[in-house]
Amino acid sequence: MSATSTTPKWLLQHEVGLCPCACIGKRRKGGVIEKTTSGAAALLRQTLFSEDVAGERGLLQRLDPRVKVLSLLGLLVVTADLRHIPVLLGMYAGTLALAAASKLRLSFFVKRVWLFIPVFTGVVVLPATLNVVTHGDIVVPLGTWFGHHLGLTEQGLRSAGLVVTRVATSISLVVLLTISTPWAKLLAALRALRAPRLLILVLGMAYRYLFLLLNAVTDMYVARRARTVAGATDATSGRLLVAASAGALFGKAQTLAEEVHLAMVARGYAGDARSVTAFRMRLLDAAFVLACVAAAVAAVGVDRLLGR
Amino acid sequence: MTVSDADMPTADDALLIVEGASYSYLDRFPALDDVSMSVQSGEKVALLGANGCGKSTLLKVLAGLLFPDRGRYTAFAAHVTEDGLEDAQFARGFRSRVGVVFQNSEAQVFSPTVREEIAFGPLNMGLERDEIAERVDDSLAMLDILDLADRAPYQLSGGQKKRVAIASVLVMNPDVLLLDEPTATLDARTQDWLIDLLVELNAAGKTIVLATHDLNTLDRLADRCIVFSEDHRVATDGPTHRVLRDQDLLAAVNLVRAGSRSPRLAAGWPLPS
Ligand SMILES: Nc1ncnc2c1ncn2[C@@H]1O[C@H](COP(=O)(O)OP(=O)(O)O)[C@@H](O)[C@H]1O
Ligand SMILES: [Mg+2]
Repeated sequence: MSATSTTPKWLLQHEVGLCPCACIGKRRKGGVIEKTTSGAAALLRQTLFSEDVAGERGLLQRLDPRVKVLSLLGLLVVTADLRHIPVLLGMYAGTLALAAASKLRLSFFVKRVWLFIPVFTGVVVLPATLNVVTHGDIVVPLGTWFGHHLGLTEQGLRSAGLVVTRVATSISLVVLLTISTPWAKLLAALRALRAPRLLILVLGMAYRYLFLLLNAVTDMYVARRARTVAGATDATSGRLLVAASAGALFGKAQTLAEEVHLAMVARGYAGDARSVTAFRMRLLDAAFVLACVAAAVAAVGVDRLLGR
Repeated sequence: MTVSDADMPTADDALLIVEGASYSYLDRFPALDDVSMSVQSGEKVALLGANGCGKSTLLKVLAGLLFPDRGRYTAFAAHVTEDGLEDAQFARGFRSRVGVVFQNSEAQVFSPTVREEIAFGPLNMGLERDEIAERVDDSLAMLDILDLADRAPYQLSGGQKKRVAIASVLVMNPDVLLLDEPTATLDARTQDWLIDLLVELNAAGKTIVLATHDLNTLDRLADRCIVFSEDHRVATDGPTHRVLRDQDLLAAVNLVRAGSRSPRLAAGWPLPS
């Protein structure tokens, strides 16, 4: 028999140590790294790629994507120019109202937005609240340090609050736009608004690459779980695995991304984003633009009235 | 050994002509070595060879996705180069006449819905929206996947993905269909369906070039076989029945085991002549 000459003997015998009958072993919980990585991958995938929300029939979903892109980006510019926390809070409330009108679960929307905020602001804002950085009246004393009083200043806290509300409002606007518009339509709308073709090409590729990467992460954990016996996953092996497979992971995602690109080129893709459904402006779109302009004018007006 | 009988087509009036093409990935991994071949209009040609001999690479050259380091490729009497395909007019003509079905359907189905996936090619061709909608519906019906129209392609089974991939190529009505191991990973019934479809398309005048190492379906799928050796060269080029009978050659290129006979011959089935 030629088959047995190269097949190791152990492979041809039944494994004796494995009990076929019942679950009498110790239960294994996934390690911290495994949980965080696959959890983060799942969350990111849901945030970026779930089109459930985009498929609902809410206010934003019914708008012409071009109108939506222009109006929300317009509000974004206005938000960057506001200098008073109450006005910014008003704008933020406005985004919540839009979310509600677009059939988004509010808790879900708020959580998504606030999840990103520490990333953008934490590092910048926290030191700024200290009197060492922002001089002024100390409202929260933290004791002394080398003979100097240390504490959070009113001015520091106010500027931090300004940054946080501004960022929260901006992120809310961006999330509203991306979550209520299928990606293909968003690209097509940008293209229709004469965004450069190269930008669309790069955005499209980045999006596909990220999608494939997240899939690869998930697949890898599933494959690993299938191969893990008993308590073999402690934190160290988890870290080792992440380090070892990161390279393979990026390689796999990249190969597939390149193949996807070739398949698109073969069907005549040259970087233009086109949509199956023709964009059409309706009364609702005009009304929405008017409402946005009114909100922007009101916000800037009140902001100016409150002084510089 | 090369078969060059009088019944073999001459290269002059061929649709696709590859002359002396060599290609290496990253200048280090050879995939094609001095390959010459041609395809006549209306032919069914199989590229035959063991894993890694360069079939997929040659298909990508034929599809104008890779460009040989040496040698030249002529399609529809025009020289195909990377620069040439930068020209929007030429690219549009070439891409609409040559359709490719990749081996990995995963790579070919990416749009949010099956309907959008199938509309992708025609949209790029700049067809009118009404015509696109009509063609997409016809393609969905033809491949019996109307019920999948609004599903996300990545949620489908392997066989369903393959159908979507084929529909997304057929919807552009190409003259030439290039297929990379089309029947691999499909179950028996889906394989039969696909073979019938390809035969029908060929009868309707489509030129078909496919890569495979599956000898069982060959007599139905190909009039002619181009066999690759493991050193990335053309070992032989001739009518399917003649190639299948040459057991020494098939063993030499690692398509059948030395000393065994190809399954169809072993079973004593009649050969087409
Ligand atoms: N992306 C790539 N990078 C490096 N080498 C590759 C790549 N794709 C294919 N090859 C090599 O080129 C050769 C031919 O590959 P391929 O055309 O895919 O063969 P086939 O389709 O006949 O199995 C193989 O030896 C393979 O290792
Ligand atoms: Mg291949």
